[in-house]
Amino acid sequence: MAETATAAEYFGVLMPQILLLIFALLCPALDLWLKMRRGIAYWVIIGLTIVGVMEILALIPETQNLVPFLFWEQPPETSIFAVNAFSMVFTVVFVFVGALVAFVSPDYIKRERNHGEYYALLLIAVTGMSFVATAGDLIVIFLGLEIAGISSYALTGFQKSVKRSTEAAMKYFIVGGFSSAISLFGMSLLYGAGGTTNLTELGAMGAEYGPIVLLGIAMLIIGLGFKIAAVPFHMWAPDVYEGAPTSITALLAAASKKMGIAALFKIFIVALLAYKAQWDLAIGIIAILTMTVGNLVAIQQNSVKRMLAYSSIAQAGYILIALPVWAVYDPSSPELVRISEYAVAGGILHVITHAAMKSGAFFVILALTVRGFGENLKDFDGLSKRAPFLALAMAIFVLSLAGIPPLAGFYSKFVLFSAAIFGSSEPGGASWLVWLAIAGILNSALSLFYYARIIKSMYIHNPQSQDRIKVPPLIQAAIVIAMIVTVFIGLYPEPFLEGALEAARALNGLLPIG
Amino acid sequence: MMIDYAWLIPVFPIIGFLIISLVPKKWLIWEGGAPYIIGMSTASFVLSILVIIDVLNGHTLTGPDSPRMTWLSAGSFELTFGIWIDQLTAVMLLVVSLVGTLVVIYSVGYMHGEGETKRRYYAEIALFIGVMFGLVLADNFVEMFIFWELVGLCSYLLIGFWKHKPSAASAAKRAFIVTRVGDIMLLSGLIILLRYVGTLDFSELFAEGSLEGSGMSSGMATLSMILLFGGAIGKSAQFPLHEWLPDAMEGPTTVSALIHAATMVKAGVYLVARSYPMLVQTPDALAFIAIIGGITALIAATNALVAVDIKRVLAYSTISQLGYMMLALGAGGLIITGLMHDGGHDGLGAGYSSGIFHMMNHAFFKALLFLAAGSVIHAVGTNDMLKMGGLGKTMKITSITMLIGSLSIAGIPPFSGFWSKDEVLASTFHAFEDAGSYSTVFLILWIMGVATAFMTAFYMFRMWFMTFTGKQRSDAHAHESPVSMTVPLMILASLAAVSGFAFFIGRGFFSFMSDSISSTIGSSVAVEAIHPLESLGEIFTSPLTYASLIVSAVGLFTAYSIYYKGAFSVSRLASGVTGKLQKLLAERYYISWFYDAFAYNIIYGISLVADIFDRYVIDGAINGMAWLSSKSGAFIRRSQTGQVQNYVAAIVIGGCLLLLFLIVFEWGEW
Repeated sequence: MAETATAAEYFGVLMPQILLLIFALLCPALDLWLKMRRGIAYWVIIGLTIVGVMEILALIPETQNLVPFLFWEQPPETSIFAVNAFSMVFTVVFVFVGALVAFVSPDYIKRERNHGEYYALLLIAVTGMSFVATAGDLIVIFLGLEIAGISSYALTGFQKSVKRSTEAAMKYFIVGGFSSAISLFGMSLLYGAGGTTNLTELGAMGAEYGPIVLLGIAMLIIGLGFKIAAVPFHMWAPDVYEGAPTSITALLAAASKKMGIAALFKIFIVALLAYKAQWDLAIGIIAILTMTVGNLVAIQQNSVKRMLAYSSIAQAGYILIALPVWAVYDPSSPELVRISEYAVAGGILHVITHAAMKSGAFFVILALTVRGFGENLKDFDGLSKRAPFLALAMAIFVLSLAGIPPLAGFYSKFVLFSAAIFGSSEPGGASWLVWLAIAGILNSALSLFYYARIIKSMYIHNPQSQDRIKVPPLIQAAIVIAMIVTVFIGLYPEPFLEGALEAARALNGLLPIG
Repeated sequence: MMIDYAWLIPVFPIIGFLIISLVPKKWLIWEGGAPYIIGMSTASFVLSILVIIDVLNGHTLTGPDSPRMTWLSAGSFELTFGIWIDQLTAVMLLVVSLVGTLVVIYSVGYMHGEGETKRRYYAEIALFIGVMFGLVLADNFVEMFIFWELVGLCSYLLIGFWKHKPSAASAAKRAFIVTRVGDIMLLSGLIILLRYVGTLDFSELFAEGSLEGSGMSSGMATLSMILLFGGAIGKSAQFPLHEWLPDAMEGPTTVSALIHAATMVKAGVYLVARSYPMLVQTPDALAFIAIIGGITALIAATNALVAVDIKRVLAYSTISQLGYMMLALGAGGLIITGLMHDGGHDGLGAGYSSGIFHMMNHAFFKALLFLAAGSVIHAVGTNDMLKMGGLGKTMKITSITMLIGSLSIAGIPPFSGFWSKDEVLASTFHAFEDAGSYSTVFLILWIMGVATAFMTAFYMFRMWFMTFTGKQRSDAHAHESPVSMTVPLMILASLAAVSGFAFFIGRGFFSFMSDSISSTIGSSVAVEAIHPLESLGEIFTSPLTYASLIVSAVGLFTAYSIYYKGAFSVSRLASGVTGKLQKLLAERYYISWFYDAFAYNIIYGISLVADIFDRYVIDGAINGMAWLSSKSGAFIRRSQTGQVQNYVAAIVIGGCLLLLFLIVFEWGEW
């Protein structure tokens, strides 16, 4: 079988990533030769839209045959890529966030130089992320993580003249390099135990390599925990999120973190299938710690940007609930299989909704920065009178983050928490899972405290001046798109949940049979 | 077929609502965006008519095949949004779309002087119409309940439209809170159904024997149906929750017209009619409905006798007529129940059909009466009938159209009210003959119904004569209203005059409605349609018809001699026993007073205790939690030093703890 796999077949399934790279490599050319500024952003948006549309077409059964190359047969046993609903859903999220970032960038970075590099790095980061989502092999996951990681280090330090930005990039780079090394070590331990780097084949390995795999699990949790900013590997995140250009903060929070989630899902669910009884409790505890610490410290913040950074940490904690609940998976019980899929679907749905609401919230801050405002809570005072649209958008984003119906964040949290409850009450499930739901619900209540402070500032406090704040149209467009997605998923979540379930089934489909 | 696009009917007005509330001010063109709403409601009206034509041709969308989409799902639980269209829906669509559209057109004239707030008015009206469409098109109780609550919300917003007036604000609150009592009963009834039957989809709940088949005891089934009807008691202002409706007059008159004729209060009647396939399984609940209906009809009519506010007279008359509808629905259902056990009978659907028929006719004449009253108020600037009088000369169109409305509601042939009211009373009388153990109750209810008919004729003409004849009692320079107001009046007047003829035109309204019951109640009861001409003959040969006709005529004549001829001075009644009676009526049997006393003393007492508990125990706990959270947050925050060495150290320490945890707790697995 392996001999029959031609290069063309690999190229076909990798068309989205290849396209992204082509668009990325031409960005510096547009900058240097054609002296484009704003035009590069449009170019990036076009590229990302093409890829996004391609993946969305592939996700809808009726339109799948419009993009046949994504479904070209691959020899299963040698495959290092797994193109399926899971990779498509995640790629859509990355591309969506990347496109929104491209929308807001031209007005935000117009005083900086080297636009071509900025956009090229942005596209390369998105490509790396989508490689992680598409990976069927540890090596590909690691390469994807590094491609995205190194591009993000550079993007974080893009504002070379701003001390905060370079400091953040330095911290991000040091902690990132450290964590990458650890996760690579963890992967090599898995290779040592299983004799392969293929996820599905690793999943078939038995439970007999206890100690060595246990060390591997710990190292992978550290390495990937860094990517998703799980407690206690989160400390870099607030500094980096605060220091990075806000457009890049949105990319880190809404896309880069989701790449970590994708890698975590793939490695723990598929490759560590036999060890799920060993990692479920550890990840459950980390989930609770992450949401609690994130929310508690967020309450203390006066900088809205930093507050949202901590809120991102907390949100990753909610998503982590999906993993221990998935661990109730038992192929002999259709009901448990269904719950495991539902849990992962909840995680994926939260990835989708969080991408929209968190990037939207950062864009509101960015819009204010562009108009010369600070990022502190008092800069939001009376915003409803000066910029009613921005205030409304921010209110929608933070209410959605808090999980207030009928907004998107409510529904994805609802699926996650209800999955935990289903998992605890189903015979054969694990009764402690209910604590994940309880912790999640209590944390949601806790988080409302600081989200409400933002709304209170905007709607109750008096503005420092009465002048209207005008938002550049492109930034406004990005905020409107994020807002529409946030409201629409909340009002009509069914197709999104259906897509997330499809992705979860695709992930379960990678499991070794028997 | 157009019926497949019926889902667009509620979408149009809701789009109108979104446009008006979201677009910049300069796009609103004219009169606060009225043209958008007129366009959208007209689109809904046209589409409704097309759908109704489909229904007349025998196409319906019912049962499990009706189109639906999954709105959200959680595990095995699913909420769907679907469309359910049968004959009953068709009648509701006609009423809501026609009256809604005319009210919006009329508003252009009526609300002309409102300035900036017009935008809010049109947005809310559009939403009100849209959600009412949603309510009548719903194919399960969850969907219906969502729209039911939205209808309640819109009525709250519109009753309190003049929010700067304390009376309007409190009337809005009252409408919201009182109907909420009914809504909670409805919700409890639905929860019982969900618990036993396991679904709230019409297609399963309306299957034959659905309640008994689910293992519900008959007492539980009756309870669930009475609770369901509790929703209608609140929404349709039935005794004892009827007091909110007269107060709801504080809103603009157009809103009253909409609430009374097409939207809010009709929702309760629709709920009862819609639940018929379940109700016929619980005869006791049906008797309860009929009794509440009869009591409401009589009580509200007596209140209307002494009211001097023109809108209050109409409000009480609405409550009274709604009572008639409930009476007919209850009586008709009971007849069906009896016959389900004893075998076939013709004219089975008469009670049901007459209730719906009366609802449709009432929609037209009540919308007419309210809009005409609005025209009068617009002209003289007061609601007080004592300050009106002699307006017939200056307001010809208003006075004539209002006369038609009054004749119609009084039940004078050939106007529409006559046909349906006669049938309502006739089916009550049939229930007396057929209803077995309840027959005495229905004899009493029939007598109450006839008495109500007398009072209706009296108070309506009292109102008409006081307003349009005699000497002018105020110095306002009354003038006829603008065209945008008189045209809807004339359209509604012609409908109020002729809509009763639906009784015998074509197949006849009753045989049309019978299709709706026979398709939902199941095949074991064959609802045979009588030929319309045959029933026409029956009406004019039955002594019952003449009885109700005579009492109406007497009522009209009494009003004529007192308020036109002045043959008898009302002031003579102001003392003694009649004076006390008058006071009792004017104070609305002290029901409001009782509610207030109840609310102020008992509820307030309970609230006080709850408040203390809330303040010291709950708030204390919350504040403690907040303090703890904030302190622990501050503590954790201090570990965030900004030093990258510390961050890496944290990762190492955290990683070691993690490894330790894995070794201690998971090692034993091997």
